[in-house]
Amino acid sequence: MQALDGVDLELVRGEIHALVGENGAGKSTLAAIAYGAVRADTGDVEADGVVGLVHQHFKLIERLRVWENVLLNREPRRGWTIDVAAARDRVRALAARYGLAVDPDAVVETLPVGVKQRVELLRELDRAPSVLLLDEPTAALAPSEIASFFTTIGELARAGTAVLVVTHKLAEVVAYSQRVTVMRGGRIVARHATAETNAPDIAREMVGGDVPALARRARTEPAPLLEVRGLSARSRVSALDDATFDVRAGEIVGIAGVEGNGQSALADALAGVVPFDGEVRFDGAPLAPNDTPGQRIARGIRVIPQDRRHEALVLDWTVRDNVALGRQRSLPPRAYAEAAREVIARFDVRPPNPDTIAGALSGGNQQKIVVGRTLASAPKLVVAYQPTRGIDVGAAALVQSRLIEARNAGAGVLLISFELDEIFACADRVLVIAGGRFVGAFDRASVDRGRIGALMAGDA
Amino acid sequence: MSAALRVRTLRELLVVIVVVFGVGSIAMLLAHVSPVDGFAQLVDGAFGTPEEVGETLVQAAFLLFPALGIAVAFRAGLFNIGAEGQLVLGGFAAGWIGAQLPLPAYVAVPMVLLAGAVAGGIWGAIPGFLKARFGANEVIATLMLNYVATLLCTYLVTGPLQQGGATAAETGALPKAAHLPDLIGLLADPQPTLAYLLTPFALAVILAFVLRRVLLHTVFGYELRAAGDAPEAAKRAGIDLGRTALVAMAISGAIAGLGGATIVAGELHRFNTGLSAGYGFIAIAVAIVGNLDPLWIVVASIAFGMLQSGGIAMQAEAHVPKEVIALVTGLVIIALAGRRAVANRRTT
Repeated sequence: MQALDGVDLELVRGEIHALVGENGAGKSTLAAIAYGAVRADTGDVEADGVVGLVHQHFKLIERLRVWENVLLNREPRRGWTIDVAAARDRVRALAARYGLAVDPDAVVETLPVGVKQRVELLRELDRAPSVLLLDEPTAALAPSEIASFFTTIGELARAGTAVLVVTHKLAEVVAYSQRVTVMRGGRIVARHATAETNAPDIAREMVGGDVPALARRARTEPAPLLEVRGLSARSRVSALDDATFDVRAGEIVGIAGVEGNGQSALADALAGVVPFDGEVRFDGAPLAPNDTPGQRIARGIRVIPQDRRHEALVLDWTVRDNVALGRQRSLPPRAYAEAAREVIARFDVRPPNPDTIAGALSGGNQQKIVVGRTLASAPKLVVAYQPTRGIDVGAAALVQSRLIEARNAGAGVLLISFELDEIFACADRVLVIAGGRFVGAFDRASVDRGRIGALMAGDA
Repeated sequence: MSAALRVRTLRELLVVIVVVFGVGSIAMLLAHVSPVDGFAQLVDGAFGTPEEVGETLVQAAFLLFPALGIAVAFRAGLFNIGAEGQLVLGGFAAGWIGAQLPLPAYVAVPMVLLAGAVAGGIWGAIPGFLKARFGANEVIATLMLNYVATLLCTYLVTGPLQQGGATAAETGALPKAAHLPDLIGLLADPQPTLAYLLTPFALAVILAFVLRRVLLHTVFGYELRAAGDAPEAAKRAGIDLGRTALVAMAISGAIAGLGGATIVAGELHRFNTGLSAGYGFIAIAVAIVGNLDPLWIVVASIAFGMLQSGGIAMQAEAHVPKEVIALVTGLVIIALAGRRAVANRRTT
């Protein structure tokens, strides 16, 4: 798959350069190529000095101390041993110089996310980079931490470092960068001096301008199936704060937002994987905050997890046995083969053989198995979290049309997606999530793509 | 985790066998013995006479019980290193109950076996509970409980639960009624050594068939395997991982404990703190070589039973140090684990 197509980008010492675009636009790939972690098929990368990269997902060793992480493989030595005192001093001096307060002896896993980010940054700064690439550096930071983070980065730039910030958040772009480059579909679509543009214009360039025409489908107006009031929850990777919304039977509610803004907390809370605070009613009765996943399944709530390889499938098993997973209590073992054949037929799984090992299938066919078995259990509510992530266009269209069929048959569908196109194609209503909160609600008749893009980027 | 240790193709199995025989031969050459003589004595010592066949099968049976138990835990993603302790404790419970119950055979034998299974099951359930409740690492817990079990049995049998007439670290003798019946004696003219020894093996083979059925064709087995092969997916499919761990460990321990009971009721006819020649540890290799599949574990147990019984002959006749057998056992595990490590490196 081609992620980038003929991209030219120039970074200048002393500038913060923002690289913006939707998920899958190619930003992270570009950063990885510039760093040297991924090789370009054609083209060159030149840098004057060391290039440093701070990853979106921290690459820290959680069990080790801060100084061990910062100086990994560059530890000061004394003969055969590490000079721990010198190491500590070096990290302390580095932290003081850049105003990144951190205890060198703290164990990384005990630190809050914002401090881990500092550790990650210190590790790159210790290499004295002349080019610093930051991939979604503020995704995990609180608003107050974001301001001080950019103060540090600004000082670094003024001291002569070229800084590239890859981000979704237009407010930060406008507030802190000197130059902005917009990507869409692997190409650069716009370049601006930040002072000469504004957030709404950038948002339009990011999402591709006009709102696409929405296919009209009849919709009934029954009583709410899922009533969520003031729900707060925390998953391993994100937190959701005080969410209130309804999902009716026979409608698709799309949750639009950038990854890491509370979506996984929402999905996990409904799945019974994490507990929640707040009041949730489902199908006329309250939902206990501490239900197990099994109890939620018994109530008729089915979640299509984000990570099909780890959260949905047993990769070493056959398609037949995977199709039964989640239904093992209601489906007798002798019926697995027939159930697998049904899913294979309805979702055009290739190869059409129930004895294929799931791990040998392509991502699209794996996802067809997951979506197929979920819908085959006739759930009342389907929570589909990134149901077409990383699969080809044909498989994605099939999955989306099957979700719409489930809606037409009377199921409620909560579609959590990072792809706006997917949400506009499927959803009857759109809720926008940013920073762990719902920040906007749109009916399909009143959808404003530019406005949704701006809200997603935290520009409320 | 269980998938990581399972052999997928016949070719992988052949590689393991070649490695084992190859390095085994080198070890014999280093001991100045002809490998051909060594392996010939091994086979002859294990299968040369009916008595030797009997001894091989009895060794196989004593390995088969704990290996089946270990396989159940493995399939649930749990590394049960504690089969030795579960087996010893099961043997103790069987011996202690058996020695003081003057009952008819049709009650006494089941009672003795049940006592072993219950004691082993409880001993297995402890790390299962710790895992389910506190997330405690079952490898460490089961390993440590081996020592606790051995020392606890020594203490009980020499102290508070000492039985009259017993000397040293053992219970009183089991009455005849509590002995495992002589399987061949039931059928025809008894061939003394072979006879009574076959009963534990027959019991273990029946258990293997039952276990295979449970693992592959029941909802319980399905959930257990899902928990072992993909815990995150299993959890999200409504499977209670904690409960599965507890039940799997209890069953695992119960099977090992049953093995201890068969040693007591079938061979020793009393509990002795030295009843296990490390069966619970060797059984780990048996379970892995048997691909964690109960029926293949039966085959593997016969192979290891052969090493156990033939190894003695090999030492006596061909002057191959018995340690070569331990070396071969260790090699099997390294060959299997190494094969998987190499495969992982290739894919990442």
